Amino acid sequence: MKPICRYILSTLLSLLPTLMVAQESGRRDWSTRGISIPEVTVSAARTMKDIGTQQTSFDSTTLKENIALSMADVLTYNSSIFVKNYGRATLSTVAFRGTSPSHTQVSWNGMKINNPMLGMTDFSMIPSYFIDDASLLHGTSSVGETGGGLGGSVKLSTRPAAARGFGVQYIQGVGSFRTFDEFLRLTYGNKNWQVSTRAVYSSSPNEYKYRNHDKKENVYDSEMNIIDQYYPIERNRSGSYKDLHLLQEVYYNTCRGDRFGLNAWYINSNRELAMLTTDYGDDTEFDNRQREQTFRGVLSWDHLRKDWKVGAKAGYIYTWMAYDYKRDPGNGVMTSMTRSRSRVNTFYGRVDGEYYIGEKWLLTANLTAHQHIVESRDKNIIRQDGDRAIVGYRKGRIELSGSVSAKWRPIEPLGIVLVLREEMFGREWTPVIPALFVDGVLSKRGNVVAKASVSRNFRFPSLNDLYFLPGGNPDLRKESGWTYDVGVSFAVGREKLYSLSGSVNWFDSRVKDWIIWLPTPKGFFSPENVKDVHAYGVEMKADLEVTPATDWNLSLNGTFSWTPSINCGEPRTPADKSVGKQLPYVPEFSSSVTGRIGWRRWTFTYKWCYYSER
Amino acid sequence: MKGRGLIGWLMVGVLMMSTSCMKWEYGLEEEFDTSTSAEGLFICNEGNFQYGNSTLSYYDPITESVQNEVFYRANAMKLGDVAQSMTIRDGKGWVVVNNSHVVFAIDINTFREVGRITNLTSPRYMHFVSDTKAYITQLWDNRIFIVDPSRYQVTGYIECPGMTMESGSTEQMVQYGKYVYVNCWSYQNRILKIDTETDQVVDELVVGIQPTSLALDCNGKLWTLTDGGYEGSPYGHEAPSLYRIDAESFTIEQQFRFRFGDAPSEVQLNGTRDRLYWINRDIWEMDVTADRAPVRPFLPDNGTIYYGLTVCPRTGDVYIADAIDYVQPGMIYRYSREGKLLDEFYVGITPGAFSWK
Repeated sequence: MKPICRYILSTLLSLLPTLMVAQESGRRDWSTRGISIPEVTVSAARTMKDIGTQQTSFDSTTLKENIALSMADVLTYNSSIFVKNYGRATLSTVAFRGTSPSHTQVSWNGMKINNPMLGMTDFSMIPSYFIDDASLLHGTSSVGETGGGLGGSVKLSTRPAAARGFGVQYIQGVGSFRTFDEFLRLTYGNKNWQVSTRAVYSSSPNEYKYRNHDKKENVYDSEMNIIDQYYPIERNRSGSYKDLHLLQEVYYNTCRGDRFGLNAWYINSNRELAMLTTDYGDDTEFDNRQREQTFRGVLSWDHLRKDWKVGAKAGYIYTWMAYDYKRDPGNGVMTSMTRSRSRVNTFYGRVDGEYYIGEKWLLTANLTAHQHIVESRDKNIIRQDGDRAIVGYRKGRIELSGSVSAKWRPIEPLGIVLVLREEMFGREWTPVIPALFVDGVLSKRGNVVAKASVSRNFRFPSLNDLYFLPGGNPDLRKESGWTYDVGVSFAVGREKLYSLSGSVNWFDSRVKDWIIWLPTPKGFFSPENVKDVHAYGVEMKADLEVTPATDWNLSLNGTFSWTPSINCGEPRTPADKSVGKQLPYVPEFSSSVTGRIGWRRWTFTYKWCYYSER
Repeated sequence: MKGRGLIGWLMVGVLMMSTSCMKWEYGLEEEFDTSTSAEGLFICNEGNFQYGNSTLSYYDPITESVQNEVFYRANAMKLGDVAQSMTIRDGKGWVVVNNSHVVFAIDINTFREVGRITNLTSPRYMHFVSDTKAYITQLWDNRIFIVDPSRYQVTGYIECPGMTMESGSTEQMVQYGKYVYVNCWSYQNRILKIDTETDQVVDELVVGIQPTSLALDCNGKLWTLTDGGYEGSPYGHEAPSLYRIDAESFTIEQQFRFRFGDAPSEVQLNGTRDRLYWINRDIWEMDVTADRAPVRPFLPDNGTIYYGLTVCPRTGDVYIADAIDYVQPGMIYRYSREGKLLDEFYVGITPGAFSWK
């Protein structure tokens, strides 16, 4: 892993809504200077739903301060989790606490969006412009939402725009290397209806010059002896992309306790995969490209009453992915070397309910079902009998996950939660997955809250782990682990002057039967249950807001993680030196800092993140 | 006005910070001279696919010393992505770097680059026909590339029958007389015979599923190992075999069957080309005139998947590559011809191929 060190992302002009209509202008003075709203401290009782959970929430400022970013970028610079990416519009994965990306469960409006073939989610395909609420549930805290999150889970959702009448928002982002991002949002709303249409189109030829220090160019004499060498200046021509996202939302609120929602998200992506810096091929002779079309739709209904609530959701995901690796053999025709196609159909359903018994008890229950139907067509071959055949697989799998929880607050400073979850993938059930959360207020003055939790968890192999040809291993065992969390948080401040909050959290988790893909003597990779991993460490975060003078605002947000993730398995051979050491490509330290200086409507933002090298 | 001035200074600050965050790691060219050592062994460490971290190691069997990353250290540039094989001829080592689409020629004493061949599809192995003609086999191409090593240029192609670009796979080559034989591996089951005068495939022989490697013994017999495919493969799945093929008549003389599910690979010969070695979990040894496969291994497996094998042409010592977990630096074990461990040393990630100086 290369360290992503000292990246500076300077959002100099944080002028988010540059064009707003249907807005009546008032006095010229504040319409040009803007209104500086003093900081408001909002006090509320701690919600019972969040008892004991370690959660990182992202506010709208964070999500929308640079709407050209994907969720991968937002998480990189605003959280301590490990975001692995290879540049803009390339595969970006997220991992918590020294685990792998497939140990992170991701949901969008309640529907799990992890690719059932790969087990992970590509965050570069999620524009932050489409997300209104985002939160991270670290470790044990994910069990309350879903199973399989051995590292944690990411909750992404949209919400009604709170529009009155028609509204139009258009934003254009212009970046280096002819990168353009277009954002359009149309809204309509009244007392009952909220309708929103969002579109994002991002494109770039991503063509730029750079000096390649991984190669040298040779200068030969007439006898073909090298007489000089130099690091060439090359032009990257193989990383272009065009991504289109459309999001349609319709919400209806009866204002009598019933809410209905429709969310439909369409993605059309066409991305070249840039050549390695050590590739000596002619970029005009090779085409290495991935395309994707995805549709995600969720229908939801919530019925709310004073002491209870029920809800139901139904959803559908269709994903078509294509990978093509082609070469011009010299006749001017790009010819396939690899032609891979996959289709995923997922049907989703969920029911849930909540019931308050007085002010001290909250009972919840939910049941979620995902039915995946997957077709993978990876390679065209000529069989021994001369016929054509395709290497691939077609499988279906139903995944059920249900949980019940009891949340109890016997006295105001103390909260206790017990969650019991059960999962079934295919025909295999997990044992009961328990999770226990406790929190308590240690000091009201500093809002000091201590939290502790413990949970068991399981993750089933992905469909590729089981069935991919060649290499899929149907004998894989599910991964399992126990996680323990202890933490404390505080929040202090003085109105109109400053606010300071922070938290520190210790975690300890052990994962058994870790699945890893390894080469075989037959020349392909195959997954095996090999490692027992002990992941532990500390997560810290702090937020400071200062108002030094009228019209001025300063803020500083920082995160730090120390996440040893140690291979505790048996040595594969006597020469194996990995036992007792950090897992490869998993950083032990990570940190991020965001600083902002605000003056009226102007904001200067400085972002920095760091991952240690491993 | 004060506000505007402040914004201006902030912009200047941003520009200054943006230009100060670049840091390059330049390599220095290191001087090597191994011309005095009587023998030497190059080890191609594949690295990890798409990581561009393949390396070249050099081992001196006399002094029992190893130098790792010699290509990078001598040339101050990376070797590339997946160093597949290396062939030595007349003081030049030809390192085939598969996913970098290049073959580097290096001085085998200084490790300095002396030239390179590009415009390749997915090169696997190189075989010299003469000083001015060599063949380079390919994966994902139905052609074998003809090159002029003296000019580092592709000069032509050999069309291989029964393959498309997508199903194309040609691998190791040996020469008997004017004919070059090549095994076709991925979703293939044939040995091709190429006339080096016309650069055309003149014959082919069907063996088992996926012949992985090829060798020519002192008696003019070709030896190839098939891996038998894999479970669920639309191409078929069968028990692997070791084949002895008469090069002259191009017919199968004998088939040694392995158990279903075995995965033999890396057929190799000793210096006198009369003893055969291969990997099938353990390391096996057999006389080239034997009629039956051995029942006991030459070296029992020590709990790993051996990934590479070679035999010293001078001493008969056996070298085995242990890729361990394919992520950490691999280990090379050196055994005497009697099976006694003589030395062991760490090299780069995923050591797979060897070449003797």
